[in-house]
Amino acid sequence: MTQRDTFISELFEIAKEDKDVILISVDMGASALDRWREELPEQFIWTGISEQHSINLAAGLSAAGKKVYLYFMAAWSARCFEQIRYSCSMANNPITILSNGVALGYAPAGPAHETNEDIAYMRSLLNIEIDCPASSTHVKELVKYSYENQKLRYIRLERKYDSRFDKISTPNGLGYSLVKGGLFGNPMRKEEPKIAVISYGYMLGRCLDVQDKFLNNNIEVSLYNMSKIKPSPLVKIKETFSDYNKIVTVEEQTLSGGFGSAVLEGMSDNNVQKPLLRIGLPERYIFENGDRDYHLDNNGLSVDSIYDKVFEFRNE
Amino acid sequence: MNNSELQKMAKSVRKTVFEFKTRDGIGHLHSSLSPVDILVSLFYDDKTDFNHETDIVMFGKAHGSPSIYPILADTGYFPKDELEKYCRPGGILRLHSDWTIPGCHFVGGSLGNGIGYASGLAQAQPDKNIYIIMGDAELYEGSVWESLMYISHHNLKNLRIIIDRNGLGTIGETEKMLKLEPLVDKFQSFIGDVAEIDGHNYDSLRGVFSSRVSEDSGDGHLLKSKSPQVVIAKTTKGKGVSYMEGKWKYHTIVPSSEEDIKIGLENLS
Repeated sequence: MTQRDTFISELFEIAKEDKDVILISVDMGASALDRWREELPEQFIWTGISEQHSINLAAGLSAAGKKVYLYFMAAWSARCFEQIRYSCSMANNPITILSNGVALGYAPAGPAHETNEDIAYMRSLLNIEIDCPASSTHVKELVKYSYENQKLRYIRLERKYDSRFDKISTPNGLGYSLVKGGLFGNPMRKEEPKIAVISYGYMLGRCLDVQDKFLNNNIEVSLYNMSKIKPSPLVKIKETFSDYNKIVTVEEQTLSGGFGSAVLEGMSDNNVQKPLLRIGLPERYIFENGDRDYHLDNNGLSVDSIYDKVFEFRNE
Repeated sequence: MNNSELQKMAKSVRKTVFEFKTRDGIGHLHSSLSPVDILVSLFYDDKTDFNHETDIVMFGKAHGSPSIYPILADTGYFPKDELEKYCRPGGILRLHSDWTIPGCHFVGGSLGNGIGYASGLAQAQPDKNIYIIMGDAELYEGSVWESLMYISHHNLKNLRIIIDRNGLGTIGETEKMLKLEPLVDKFQSFIGDVAEIDGHNYDSLRGVFSSRVSEDSGDGHLLKSKSPQVVIAKTTKGKGVSYMEGKWKYHTIVPSSEEDIKIGLENLS
């Protein structure tokens, strides 16, 4: 099941018991939506392709006490950025935005359907929480969390995710967590440089493969999942990262103000001064045919390419 | 209040707005003078439907919303001395009204968003009447028409959309900038109940704002309308101040010379 359908299905169970839960779809389909439309028609609003109105409507419903979830394609978050800022953030009206198909998730649809910068612009908003779940387990946690803690929230749902993470614990309590450690237990490696790779969402899968490649070559690398972008989970992190010599961030975003920037800010704010390498998409829109993996492979985010960059950085 | 008393009240409101706007020269005085009679009709004419204790009136054109401040002070939402602190540090009244001000709603300053927000309020609270005052030049925002489609489809009959049709944008007439007319036809293609009236005439205002209360509604004020309503209130920007009336250049100019302030106060006294 996709992250989107997992979220909507889980929310459906809550909505059956709470008539104030409202789901808005601009004109986006989802198999899990069909059940809402049939069984909870009073709690489903189909607004049509009108993102600006939809956000304003959601804000008004929220102001009147409804618990509003709005589902659209991630790329449209830019179109209604003003309404999110004005009617929700500024006016203090909490709604949950289910932003589906983040980053290159809609490839080969082209750059208009892709969000290579949404972390940068969304995290600039005030009063917002941003989550990037990597697994269906985390998505389910977010359903409960978002319902119990009404807040302006932007949940970046992966159109396709790496199901290996359903079996790997990705707790959201701190907003970041160790996915898999390195070889630090080995006293023979005490003097070797230690690298922490931090990523999120779909890129975690590639980073897991990168880490395996390093470990197979007896090189120390740990992998962290930072699923919460805002508020920054990177508080009291000195202890976590003090053993590392260098830090690498890997994101499916362009680098201006994106995920790596958020990590850098967190490190700086906590006086963690480590060399940090940001790996991400090039500063360009990709007008080429190919699916998501093809584009990642050809834009510096293949497993080998990430490995080589981290390896070079490690040895600098 | 009868018409004469309502007119007297409107003059008093305009004078107060003129005074606090010209005190520091901040804001859009011109735009705040045109909707005054609409507000006075809603708040002070016993025969109109609006009940400020149960209904919501909000602004799409928040740059004109300071017009409501003297009324809210008069009805007890905040002390009258707040009017003297308009836009001054320590005061609660701002150039654009917002939800932090008692009696005000939403947040002001970005056009074309209030109507969508109002539709959410109306849909979630069918037992409450929502009034939104919009500017005519606000109608250029595409989001307005997204919302109208929605309001029409869902027949949000507890929603009243009032257009302050003063005919002017920031730097000239709307019909020279981009034609809005035929506005009645445009609205009627979305919503059947459209009235175009003189926005300074209390009989006309009473006519559109008092005809829809259900006599047998439980709480005595629910609208009996079968659809949302659009009221295009034809107004004069700068109403009441002789040299400002209908002159577009005053959108961003607050009178500052001793002579202009003197004339303005005489006009409104």
